Amino acid sequence: MLAWLLRGLRGGRVTTRHPRVPDTPPAGLHASVELRRADGGEPALEGLCPTGAITVDGAGRVRLDRGRCILCGECVRRAGDRFAFADVTFETAARSRAGLVSDSAAHAGAGPPRRTLGERARPLRRSIHVRHIDCGSDGSEEWEIQALWNPHYDIQRLGFFLTNAPRHADILLVTGGVTTPMRAPLMRTWEVMPEPKALVAVGADACSGGLAAATGRIAGGVDRVLPVDVYVPGSPPPPLAILHGLMTAVGLLDSGSAA
Amino acid sequence: MSTAAREVRTFPGDPPVGLRAVPEPGPPGEVRLRVAPGDLRRTLRLLRASGARFVTMTLGREPARSIIVVLAHRGSLVLLRAPDEDCRALDGTLGAEWPAAAWAERELRERHGAAPRGRLLTAPDPDAIDRRVHGLDAFVIPYGPVRSGIFEAIQFQVETGGESVVALQTRPFFKHRGLEERFRGVPVADAVHIAERVAGISSVAYACAYSQAVERALGIEVSRLAERWRAVHAELERIACHLDVIAKQADTAALSVGHARFQILKERVMRLRAQLTGSRFGRGAVVPGGVRGIPAHDRNALRREIDELERDLRRDRRLFLATASMTDRLIGTGRLGRDLIDDHGAVGPLARGSGVATDARHERPYGDYRRLGLRVMTRREGDAMARVNVRFDEIEESLRLLRQALEHLEPLGEEPASPSPGASGTACGWVEAPQGELLVWVEIADGALANVHLASPSLRNWALFDHAFGADVLTDFAFIEHSFGLTPAGADR
Amino acid sequence: MNSVYAAAMAALALAALGAVALPRAGVVVAGAGSVLLTLAGVSAAIGAAHPHLTLGDWLGYGPSGLLDDRLAGIFLTLTGITAAAVMAAYAIRPGGRAQMTASCVLVLTVALVIGADSAFLLFLAWEGLTVCVYLLSSGRGSARELAAGHLTGGLAKLGGAALLAAIGIMYAHTHTFSLTAWTGARLPPGTRGVLFALLLACFATKIGVLPLQGGLPAGYGSAPRLGAASLAVALCAGFYGLWRFELSVLAPLPIWCGDALLVLGAATALAGIAYALTRDRMRTFLGYSTVENAGIVLIGLGVAALGQTAHRPMLAAAGLLAATLHVCAHNLAKTLALIAVDRVELSSHTARMDPLGGLARRLPVTAAAAAIASLTLAAIPPLGGFVSEWFTFQALLQGFRMPTLLSELLCALAAAALALTAGLAVLAFAKLYGTVFLGGPRSGRAAGRGEPSRWPGGLVGLSLVLLFLGAVAPWEVRGLSEALAPVLGLHLAATTISPPLVLTPVFPGFAVLAPTWLGVTLALYALLFMAGARLLRGREARGRRARRAPVWVTGADADPAAVQYRPSAYSNPMRVILRGPLGYRVRTIVTGAGPAGAERLVLDTRVTLAVERFIYAPLAAGVSRLAAGARALQSGRLSAYMLYMLAALIVALSLVPLLR
Repeated sequence: MLAWLLRGLRGGRVTTRHPRVPDTPPAGLHASVELRRADGGEPALEGLCPTGAITVDGAGRVRLDRGRCILCGECVRRAGDRFAFADVTFETAARSRAGLVSDSAAHAGAGPPRRTLGERARPLRRSIHVRHIDCGSDGSEEWEIQALWNPHYDIQRLGFFLTNAPRHADILLVTGGVTTPMRAPLMRTWEVMPEPKALVAVGADACSGGLAAATGRIAGGVDRVLPVDVYVPGSPPPPLAILHGLMTAVGLLDSGSAA
Repeated sequence: MSTAAREVRTFPGDPPVGLRAVPEPGPPGEVRLRVAPGDLRRTLRLLRASGARFVTMTLGREPARSIIVVLAHRGSLVLLRAPDEDCRALDGTLGAEWPAAAWAERELRERHGAAPRGRLLTAPDPDAIDRRVHGLDAFVIPYGPVRSGIFEAIQFQVETGGESVVALQTRPFFKHRGLEERFRGVPVADAVHIAERVAGISSVAYACAYSQAVERALGIEVSRLAERWRAVHAELERIACHLDVIAKQADTAALSVGHARFQILKERVMRLRAQLTGSRFGRGAVVPGGVRGIPAHDRNALRREIDELERDLRRDRRLFLATASMTDRLIGTGRLGRDLIDDHGAVGPLARGSGVATDARHERPYGDYRRLGLRVMTRREGDAMARVNVRFDEIEESLRLLRQALEHLEPLGEEPASPSPGASGTACGWVEAPQGELLVWVEIADGALANVHLASPSLRNWALFDHAFGADVLTDFAFIEHSFGLTPAGADR
Repeated sequence: MNSVYAAAMAALALAALGAVALPRAGVVVAGAGSVLLTLAGVSAAIGAAHPHLTLGDWLGYGPSGLLDDRLAGIFLTLTGITAAAVMAAYAIRPGGRAQMTASCVLVLTVALVIGADSAFLLFLAWEGLTVCVYLLSSGRGSARELAAGHLTGGLAKLGGAALLAAIGIMYAHTHTFSLTAWTGARLPPGTRGVLFALLLACFATKIGVLPLQGGLPAGYGSAPRLGAASLAVALCAGFYGLWRFELSVLAPLPIWCGDALLVLGAATALAGIAYALTRDRMRTFLGYSTVENAGIVLIGLGVAALGQTAHRPMLAAAGLLAATLHVCAHNLAKTLALIAVDRVELSSHTARMDPLGGLARRLPVTAAAAAIASLTLAAIPPLGGFVSEWFTFQALLQGFRMPTLLSELLCALAAAALALTAGLAVLAFAKLYGTVFLGGPRSGRAAGRGEPSRWPGGLVGLSLVLLFLGAVAPWEVRGLSEALAPVLGLHLAATTISPPLVLTPVFPGFAVLAPTWLGVTLALYALLFMAGARLLRGREARGRRARRAPVWVTGADADPAAVQYRPSAYSNPMRVILRGPLGYRVRTIVTGAGPAGAERLVLDTRVTLAVERFIYAPLAAGVSRLAAGARALQSGRLSAYMLYMLAALIVALSLVPLLR
């Protein structure tokens, strides 16, 4: 064991100081797509997106739903004047489904944010237990969530702990648009968690059903089954974006809409 | 581009005596045979006796509905096409006879065959308990589908006498998203996004297999540089997946520093992939016709990164193997005998850990692997330690291949060749995914997909999990499961 | 006190006679007699009175009477309390006429055994006890119960034969049957050892010491209803015999006797608890637990015997105090456990642990009583079982004061065995209590009716006594010090109890234990915690009830009965570890095809008791063969019998000149 200890010490410190000292996002990482020009769109633009994230209404106003975007880049490639990969930021989470849509007018009617976990458990904000459940993801969101506890990100320093028992959990991280066999287990997991609790939907599948929404085999997003507190879009979202979502859920941050 | 040259390919080796199937034309590497009605069972028996390995069974739709059975035989794929009526004749006896075909047969029967009765493989009920073991001590632990830790959803019904595992039933298909149907009607170039998201942790492998299937069906040639880049992305993915398995083993044995070290290595690989493709999982890089635009990279920095990875990995591997508390849990655990592997047609590091040298890059070389010298890493013991050692060896082999590929690597200039709009064709594409041999069957009609079948290595290998517990106890469960290194998302599709 | 004692014995005699006609009334009278017996016992033990009832010469073989001296007082107290509890339980839920009569007679004979001052009276009472034990163990007469009854009765008869032989030898040397005359008699050195062995064999059958322990678990298992609890009352007689004969009459024993007691005690304790772990029937489990505790008592007695041999009264006191405390705690706890198990059986109609579960909700009083009994038997502080086991450990730690090196080594080994036993005991009682009362029901049996009776007086009374047995340990030690003074020759309370209420293992300054303060502190902590939690809950939380959610089974909604740990599976790891000594075999048998073509398997696990395999089975086979051979003699023909009589006459006639 001593050899391991020395090996670890020799490796030095790799842990980021994010969010106190914000991490520089790696250049070129495709973390989200942004809409450059919102008006004057033709209906043909809708066909660019395999998940239907692009909508053009009658007045030619284009909207991009980040909750459906799987970052395939087709729109960037074929309509590069209108769409582009955004400068990387990790603050992509939103408290409501409408907050993920690019049009700011859609925020009207989103309502006041739900009473957050942090307000209810103010003295305990440095000790949040997280439980994860997979309801039909493709497996990559699990890797990104696991990465949060690796030495690079190490969110234990921020007070987030993993737990296996939903009875001890404060936050439920759900990945995957909910498949039919996983509906009941998801409901049971949520029911067994004590108040106050929060539900964070991680990934495009959980926010909106993603690519598989068209098959009818999944519910089309976690919010069809349970009320979601925070949506973290992306396919999959990078670990620090998930961290941003967690902190939003706890109320450490005051994020109301997408950046 | 026109459809590929279709000719009748010669049977690999001597055809078995009594084989009455009619050869059909197909792309190179595939021997297609049309089987007479009612003759499927007999043909399969003959081919099995002559040494063929079962890969998958699916329902084809072009040009007419038929059953397609894919077998691997001496460096070629043998595709049997049987008429649709035989679908109703699938009653489970094929799987009883040939364990490798059991789950493929059940899936086909439940989705397309006669109305199924009883417990369904493809529609699992988490609340149902099938007791097989009786006795004063025996009880059931239904583990899953919500697992302990950040894992994908799959259920195991463990029947135990208090500590020993007497019987085990694996129940996949909790994550069935119907992605094979999602492919239908999607233009060929766009469907690669669906392929990438079937099993997110091996996106590059699925994208490669799909792209190669499309290229073989439509006769599209891929440039050498693109093939090289594909190999680079695939090997990086293999390293990441293997590191993930090893890190999970260390975590299960509570070797925290080891777990942390391997996770650091994995994170470095993921960041490298993000640097090369814009996505931590290598998505968007591999498309039918070639490879998407790669940003300019610094070759020397890349080589330095690979050298550092190798050096750190070697040190960590040495420590890992010297930690008795770790290796004690792995040695002798989850032993898989050679005949079990052969009966189930297992592939990947699972099979290589039991001495079976099966590797799709070696049996049917594709892409750049025809030029890169590849060594297939095997071990003989067949236990979890052997599978972990195989993965360590493969990581080092991948790093060596990367270094070799880096010699002649330039940033891509041209856009990949796009398939012509009205093209049609059918073909198989295969790669060696980190979990094992992955096979994709595509049927293209008028430039859009009519039918796609993904033969995931995870589904084929999960069938062995029930037999992996010989004298092992409940606490060995996690070690054996992680040593399999499979992904339910790929199995369930 | 004489009158109280006389009234007690008269009541017991009346109950024994009258129970045949009016069982319920007899039981009540026997209960009253037991209470009086307790009073007499306590007063005698602390030396306040010295009741003596003379029975004159009518038994023959010299004068006999019932002498309640200090040593007998301890055991009469125990008998009285446990018998009162059993009789109260019988009065509330009566059993069959035969078993209630047998129980009343059993209590009478036990009181006679303890009080007898003539060996002949003791022997008569002992044989009467044997008959009662045999009748109770034979249950309702099914084949299995009869076999158990034969085993129990046969072993008890064997013990009786050994007792008779011992009495014969003593009479031959002292020409009297009076126990007081026997105490301190001059005996040749070898004789003491032989007597020790014979008497140990006799009492071993009653208290369950290897290798004569078979009767105890078998008898507990087959006795109907509270018959097992009555058999637990009989333990008092067995233990009394050891105290009286080995440590009082035959003292000082040769040194090998003390060593033998240590070895036997350690082996018995380990074997008892190891087999108890593997049992599924609750009463058999408790029978093997008695075997274990008998072993622990024997360890204490071993130290006492060695102390007496070495003429170190303080050492003897350490061992004897530990053994006596353990007998008190164990007998009370075992009786309570058996009464609780009887109530569980009445409620759920099964004697096995496997179908039960979650009974604490339906049977709260029984569950509380069983909890107290389990905690005492598992030696959890601050209850009485912990105090006595602590004293036993401390007595063994005095090994360095032993006269010989062998004794020192045996003390160390016995301490190791005792530590292992203590650990296994916790596991075993966790299994019993957890699988029967906690968790969820494993079958329909567990979802039966509620408490069999509303006011379980015996249960509650005994529970209260046991609850405070640890806390009142200093007073108990003081009382025992008075009671054991004649045996030891010193007042151990002087050095054992240091004010205020701190106990040491007779040797002052060696180690300390304060069970009273421990009990008080634990209770205070609990109260403080509850008060603090109530205060800290805050205004907001007041009035908010807890939300109930179902058991989490990793997302499945499985039937709890199928997915809970079974009792045998719970103790499986220990079974696997001890598989050599336990003779544990497990096989998976394929029995045909089940659903979906998968095979049906049966997990067959077996534990073979070594004593049964190597001693009982061959002996039983030999005895059967002998009996079969003897049956040949019973030809039914008059001529053969005349021939036997002629042969016997000839032998007797030929013996006369020899004896002259």
